[in-house]
Amino acid sequence: MAAPVVIKKEKVDDPRPSASADAGEGQTEAEIERRMIELMGEFPKGINDKILETDMPNVDKKIKVAILNRLLSQEKVNIFRAAVTKELFWCLKQQPTSKLKGVDSEEKIVMRIIEEAGNKGIWNRDIRTKSSLNQTTLNKILKALEGKKLIKSVSSVSAAKKKVYMLFNLQPDRSVTGGSWYSDNEFESELVDVLNQQCYRILQQKAEGAKQKPLEGPLIVRNASFLSSKEICQIISDLKIVKFNLTVEDIETILDTLVYDGKIEMSATTDGYSDGQVKTYRTVEKLLSSAGIVRIPCGVCPVIKMCGTVGAVQPKNCVYYDQWLD
Amino acid sequence: MPPFTLGHFSQVCCQLLNHYFGEIVGQVGAYLLRRGHRPLFDIPCATGLSIAEVKKALAVMIQHNLVKFEASERNNNIAEYSIIHHNVYCLLRYPKYLYMIKRIYGTSEEILLEILLNLGQASASNVIFQSANRLKEANDPSALHQSFLKLAQDNFIIRCPKLADNANMQKVPTLVVEEKEKFTVPHLEIGPIAKLLKENATQLGEHSDSEVIWRVNHERFDVELRNVILVNAAARRVDSTAGELYHLILKLWRECSNPDSPTTNALSFNVIKDAVRKNEGSSPVLLEHFEQYLRVLYEDTSSLITKVGDAGGGQFILNYSIVFENLACATLDSIVLERFGSKALRLFRLTRIQKFMEQDQMQNIAMIPAKEAKMFTYKLLEHNFLQIKELKKGTSNFAPVKSFILFHVDLPQVARTALEASYKGLFNAMVRQMHDLTDNKRLLDKHARLETLLESLRGEGLPEDELAYLSDSMTAAEKSLVARIHSMNDHLTLGQTQADDTILILESYLKFSSMT
Ligand code: SF4
Repeated sequence: MAAPVVIKKEKVDDPRPSASADAGEGQTEAEIERRMIELMGEFPKGINDKILETDMPNVDKKIKVAILNRLLSQEKVNIFRAAVTKELFWCLKQQPTSKLKGVDSEEKIVMRIIEEAGNKGIWNRDIRTKSSLNQTTLNKILKALEGKKLIKSVSSVSAAKKKVYMLFNLQPDRSVTGGSWYSDNEFESELVDVLNQQCYRILQQKAEGAKQKPLEGPLIVRNASFLSSKEICQIISDLKIVKFNLTVEDIETILDTLVYDGKIEMSATTDGYSDGQVKTYRTVEKLLSSAGIVRIPCGVCPVIKMCGTVGAVQPKNCVYYDQWLD
Repeated sequence: MPPFTLGHFSQVCCQLLNHYFGEIVGQVGAYLLRRGHRPLFDIPCATGLSIAEVKKALAVMIQHNLVKFEASERNNNIAEYSIIHHNVYCLLRYPKYLYMIKRIYGTSEEILLEILLNLGQASASNVIFQSANRLKEANDPSALHQSFLKLAQDNFIIRCPKLADNANMQKVPTLVVEEKEKFTVPHLEIGPIAKLLKENATQLGEHSDSEVIWRVNHERFDVELRNVILVNAAARRVDSTAGELYHLILKLWRECSNPDSPTTNALSFNVIKDAVRKNEGSSPVLLEHFEQYLRVLYEDTSSLITKVGDAGGGQFILNYSIVFENLACATLDSIVLERFGSKALRLFRLTRIQKFMEQDQMQNIAMIPAKEAKMFTYKLLEHNFLQIKELKKGTSNFAPVKSFILFHVDLPQVARTALEASYKGLFNAMVRQMHDLTDNKRLLDKHARLETLLESLRGEGLPEDELAYLSDSMTAAEKSLVARIHSMNDHLTLGQTQADDTILILESYLKFSSMT
């Protein structure tokens, strides 16, 4: 059942890999390999050809490829291709957890299940069905593992009472913690509202400023009314409204709500200095100031379905009209 | 026949007929609205009116192009009458028509149209004669003749169909209109009209063009009313100069396209540029930044202008179905916002933009606390702004079927619901107005009589103190009440025209979206 667990001494991001141990092919290659793995430790997102080229310009490409391929086949590194640039990247493989000393086989099974769940975590009940252990045993095991600081329980925002388990060193996924907008599993809707308004105000001010130069033509005015999410993030951070570190993604989720409010529009531009696309935003006017119908009481009337020429609610004795006409 | 057996739209029509033409016409209209095509002899039985009354009512409605007749399919010796719904509804828009004509041309054209609307249909000479009488421009009706030509040339008025050649052979005559004659004004004899006017005659009598009858062209006014909405939208999105440019382009599009098609024909950059150059009224800002304005407009997400090609510096069309979809969305947004608040609006728009959404996704992306999000979602659902779609997914044969509840916005359906509600709101406003007026009829009549009396006495030079004495026959309280009723009445009239704006947008959206 339990697959053999590789027991290693190193931590996941330990730059000293086991490579030196099984380096049978000459000094240089082993060194190169070690350096490569070191690099991958420095760049957790992965290294590409460019990085390798600058770091070890003297090494022949073929050798590098050979070493990388060997690392791949040893399942020490992963290879992937960047979505936009189509460049190849190598990175260290997330090593299976290594602290299984003194863990018995049932615990191992549970560990494996929890490990597979990654940083999304897994519910107690799901562990039970997967491991076919009974509840009491499982609870005992979980407690033990928790005590050894191998796993931890995190309460999920989607269902407050249900706890999910995950490996101790993992950062819980956004879907579990809810991201920046949750504190102690409480959605901070007021903060979101404040930021929503603040972002809008910033963009409005930008647009107002742009309108001060009508002589340069509407295109210039329009283009000057855009702000990128990065810039907005900076402004908001400078305002010190939030206590934590706002990321650009955080601000983009807020800006999205404004887009859905119909108050601003997003457009992606590729120009500029950063790598991929830049999201820029500007305020837009609605096509209508308001629908004509909502300017009469019936347009917003909560009881319009009951209203008629007979019955208790009738236009002729309607209180909404009485107020409106006053 | 109680009116509540009718739909809201028909109720509005019925109310309009009552208001403009009196109760008898209203009754006949209501019957036809309810029953569709009916022969003459059915109507008296059902309405309890005499045959003479019914005939008269039908004649009035035919004169005003509100009812049409056709030979029955079963027996082509019998005529069947039916309501022309749109035309009846357009009675509501007559004040808008007049205002529009006044804005585009001036007072004399407005008077011409008003006379024509009052008459329903009439010959050119007759309309000119009566307008001149009204304007007291006894000496020279030829200016009015020019105005009339303008209205015909711009298609705001149209010739009525004539009897077909074989009319004598049929019991129920058919009417035909020559496509190319639709807007051609025949030669008029202005001399006799001027002479009659000098003699202070009140009737025109025989005249050369008495056979060529004109009436108002509702389709053309529809286009113009829609254009007003579009120009306003352009001005809101960019600025008033963009509105000015857009107005000009709309005019070019109208001249080169079929009004019923969901898209206009293409205009090239150079044609538009020429038009802007040649137009005397073009503002200096527009002349200077023409290219920028055009670009800002066609790059705008509201699709007021769609670029379809690059020939001739760029080819541009107006896609009515897309633009009116956007306008309908804006209308619905506004309704949701006012009725349920900004959070509900966010959920509504989010669902519309994303097509299909699960509850969880909705609250996460909209960043609204779960409880609130659920409440708003179900409110929107209850009032038909959101629809539900259930997806069943069987993962395997023995596992239970998984089902997902997805929310989405069925735009035509939501628009139809909102349109019905708008008809109802409009109807309610009309009922309320009628009620307020009839309730205070005695007082209002008294006030009106007093005012005319005072007016005429003042004309006769009665001293002010005596006038004041007379005017005191109404108490101050009564007078302020009258003033209040008048202002309420204006409010209600304005409200009705605003409801009509919404109706126009939603109707246009549904019309154009069903075409594509
Ligand atoms: S008349 Fe009054 S009660 Fe009836 S729909 Fe209108 S606002 Fe509502």
